[in-house]
Amino acid sequence: MNNDPQSKPRNILPDCIIPAIAFAFTVYYLTTITEVPWISQASAFVVSGLLMLSILAFAVRTVWRIRQHRETCQLSGAFESLLGDIPTMLKRVALLLLSIAFIWVIDNLGFTLSTFIFVFLGILLLSSVENWRNALKVSLSCAVIGYVVFIYLFNTRFPAGPIENWLKGVL
Amino acid sequence: MAPELSVFLALFADTLSYWWVIIPATILGIVVGAIPGFSAANTIIILLPITLAMEPATGMIFMVVLYTASRLGAGIPAILVNIPGTAGAAATPLDGYPMAVAGRGQQALAISFTASVGAGIITTIAAIILIPWLSQVAYHLHSVEMIVVMLFGISLIATISAADKIKGLIAGFFGLMIGYIGADVVYEAPRGSFGFLELYDKVPLIPALVGLFAISEAFVVIERNTILSKEGETGQQQAGWGPTLEGIRATIVHWKEVIWTGMLGLVIGVIPGAGAAIASFVAYQQSRLMSKTPELYGSGHVPGLIAPESANNGVTSGTLIPLLIIGVPGGATAAIMAVVLEYHGVNFGPDLFESEPMIAYGSFTAMLVTYVLLGFLILPLTRYFSRVMVVPTLYMVPILIAFTLVGAFVPRAYVFDMGVAIVFGIIGYIARRTGYHVAAILIGVILGPLLENYFLRALRISQGDLGVLFSSTIGNILWVLLLLSVLAPGLKRFLTSSRKTRNAD
Repeated sequence: MNNDPQSKPRNILPDCIIPAIAFAFTVYYLTTITEVPWISQASAFVVSGLLMLSILAFAVRTVWRIRQHRETCQLSGAFESLLGDIPTMLKRVALLLLSIAFIWVIDNLGFTLSTFIFVFLGILLLSSVENWRNALKVSLSCAVIGYVVFIYLFNTRFPAGPIENWLKGVL
Repeated sequence: MAPELSVFLALFADTLSYWWVIIPATILGIVVGAIPGFSAANTIIILLPITLAMEPATGMIFMVVLYTASRLGAGIPAILVNIPGTAGAAATPLDGYPMAVAGRGQQALAISFTASVGAGIITTIAAIILIPWLSQVAYHLHSVEMIVVMLFGISLIATISAADKIKGLIAGFFGLMIGYIGADVVYEAPRGSFGFLELYDKVPLIPALVGLFAISEAFVVIERNTILSKEGETGQQQAGWGPTLEGIRATIVHWKEVIWTGMLGLVIGVIPGAGAAIASFVAYQQSRLMSKTPELYGSGHVPGLIAPESANNGVTSGTLIPLLIIGVPGGATAAIMAVVLEYHGVNFGPDLFESEPMIAYGSFTAMLVTYVLLGFLILPLTRYFSRVMVVPTLYMVPILIAFTLVGAFVPRAYVFDMGVAIVFGIIGYIARRTGYHVAAILIGVILGPLLENYFLRALRISQGDLGVLFSSTIGNILWVLLLLSVLAPGLKRFLTSSRKTRNAD
């Protein structure tokens, strides 16, 4: 029971995301094991059953707390609670998109160039365009140190692009 | 089989003459251990042309030293930036990172290093003395016993989710289900892989680890100036050598913890396929269980950091025993060592200790030398390593994301794995913001496939009879111990409260 009449009920909607993902994944998983031998299904059935029971317990507890006005479940405020205020939310989403773009281009641009671009843009995103000098220094250092240590000295299997191929011919 | 003291001392002195291999391998080991994706195994593979060209004893010492130092290096990012360098350090951030955030990163590093070095030295000496008995452990632990050992590790899920049991169980079981993705070990039937061929061989561990810990943490901390809390920033600015000495003192005070969790790691290390991740989870869980202050675990408690670090260093010497005695490697790195030694025509078995003492005993004396060297080399660096904590997040976050994503690429060289890291990063971020423990998910991802493998093998051998789970004496003893360790906290609480009630009456 919410004893303090002044305190605001907590929005539980963000807390439901992990159980929802877990539930959806488990249902999908179970559909993929219908044809396999039962020995291969056995431990998955046990664990998925326990997971479903836990999710059910969570659902029952949530409904109980909502009825007691200790929690609410609404869309309004859910994104802020999960991602922070609007400027922070925008930074997080932009950084996520930048990270996806980094993965997207690294196979073609290679480690050195894509790391330089990613770190440079990432620093500008988290600070401001006025910080471009520091961003340039840091991102250039990262790319050069990364290349020298991992690719040149250790010969590690990093994604290769134009810079790696050119330097391979020169060095 | 244990050598006489004079022989042992002669071997120790002989090992010192390999300083030219030991020192660079130690430094290299610390570096590769600290970078997610660069395990000792990967590095030894990369450096195989060099290792194969060396004399067998030199090559073996190089590999052992690299392996030992990398184990210690893996704790550094786990404590400072919440990114375990390897799966063996996955339990280290549970108490190490809260200490770092509170401005006690330098002390946490000193505790981690002192516990690692202490446990490493003790377990290496114990391994040399106990080789004849420890070599028998692997013979007695089969699928059934291994299932119970796995369950000891998995029961940590309930332990670390004390704040909200239901959320903890959802996270842990969700992790186990993720661990079940891919083809099973008996029928090779692909399950839950979303049609991706890259997932047929199970969810890759390093990308999962990078995503759940590093990427998610990077997205969380961008709203702060540094990783440190406000109180931590003040504490960090005032730090001198004091925190290092305080960390060493705190570890020495808990010397019993160092010994028994290290020995636990040694025994688990002897079991082929078990490894440092299981040892550190089991040690953490058992340490909390035995503690008089279990409620402090997870908040930056010294024994909570000592237990996993001592255990994973105990594994290091344990892994070599089945390799040298019966030719069965205890883990991935030991498997590569086996390949190198076989290339040189070295025959494994008890005779190896007489025919090639520099390879057999020399592996352990090299470990001892490495630990002593690490003690002198790395402890003074704690003060400088901990400065990482004051790097502004606006620089730290992009660098962390870039290098850890590339680290996720390294083990298999699939760009797909970098995507897997992002997916786990999103799951980890949501979990952190909504009170689900990412370590509980990771325990499931790491131990799920292992548990299933042993479970399937046991069922396959028994032709589907579940009674096989209770068919061995050692297995049944382990079941009872597991039951006791799960029920003990509740019983302890019940007895304490009933004693309080009686006293009140």
